Amino acid sequence: MSTEKDYQISPVVQESIVHNSRTLFNFQSLTASLFGVCAGILGLESYTGFLFYIISTLLTCILFYALRIAPSSIASGKAPFDTSRYFRGAFEFWTSGLSGGLAGFILTWTLFYGLVRA
Amino acid sequence: MTWISKTTTFFGLVLLAHACYSAQEHSALQSFRTTSAVNPSSPGTTAVSLPLDISLETLVATAIICFGLALGTPPLRPIQWRVWAGKIEREGEEGFMNADGEVSRDYVGNPFKMLETRPGFVDIRRQKKDFAEWVRSSGEKQEAQI
Repeated sequence: MSTEKDYQISPVVQESIVHNSRTLFNFQSLTASLFGVCAGILGLESYTGFLFYIISTLLTCILFYALRIAPSSIASGKAPFDTSRYFRGAFEFWTSGLSGGLAGFILTWTLFYGLVRA
Repeated sequence: MTWISKTTTFFGLVLLAHACYSAQEHSALQSFRTTSAVNPSSPGTTAVSLPLDISLETLVATAIICFGLALGTPPLRPIQWRVWAGKIEREGEEGFMNADGEVSRDYVGNPFKMLETRPGFVDIRRQKKDFAEWVRSSGEKQEAQI
């Protein structure tokens, strides 16, 4: 009940949420495919490749935060690593790339592994 | 801003293509060596890891492309209504440009506009006075011309 009251008091803009999450999703699918190319060229196999994917996705999140969120968010008085100005859930922001880009990652990973080590 | 992002991404892609080609050549050379080796003491493909410079080039190229792509993403919009409306009020269309410098399609305009065009709050007497002055001044102008 309290959350509904909160939304009544400080409403959110649906279009902005859609726009922000679409921007993040596009960026993360592109970079996930890119990491697949990188992992394929490096010749990573099994767990190493997935570890590489997890670490690089987190680094991408931090890069996105530093370039797109941090300047205006910190200027408006939010704490560092607080994404509530642009995204509803912090967990959603930091982990959405892991599931969204995995298919693209595996696709380009296997493709480039096969191309390089033919 | 957009040309910085595009050149950075392009430069990274060139680096990545070069690294990919180098890695492919390296593995082709390794397989050629193992098949043409005279001594049969080491049969099978001995896994030779990639040279350090190719690995470094791949990683650096990936980082550069990521940076370029992140620079090219359109700016985010505040999700809280009051912050969002305040941004429109302050910056107008400037705050809602996409990367190519055009106003994005789902820009809805100032949400406070309906407050400023309420017909009940129109100062009708002042408008009437302005109109009367305009009529008088244009009439004087015409007389002066005649």
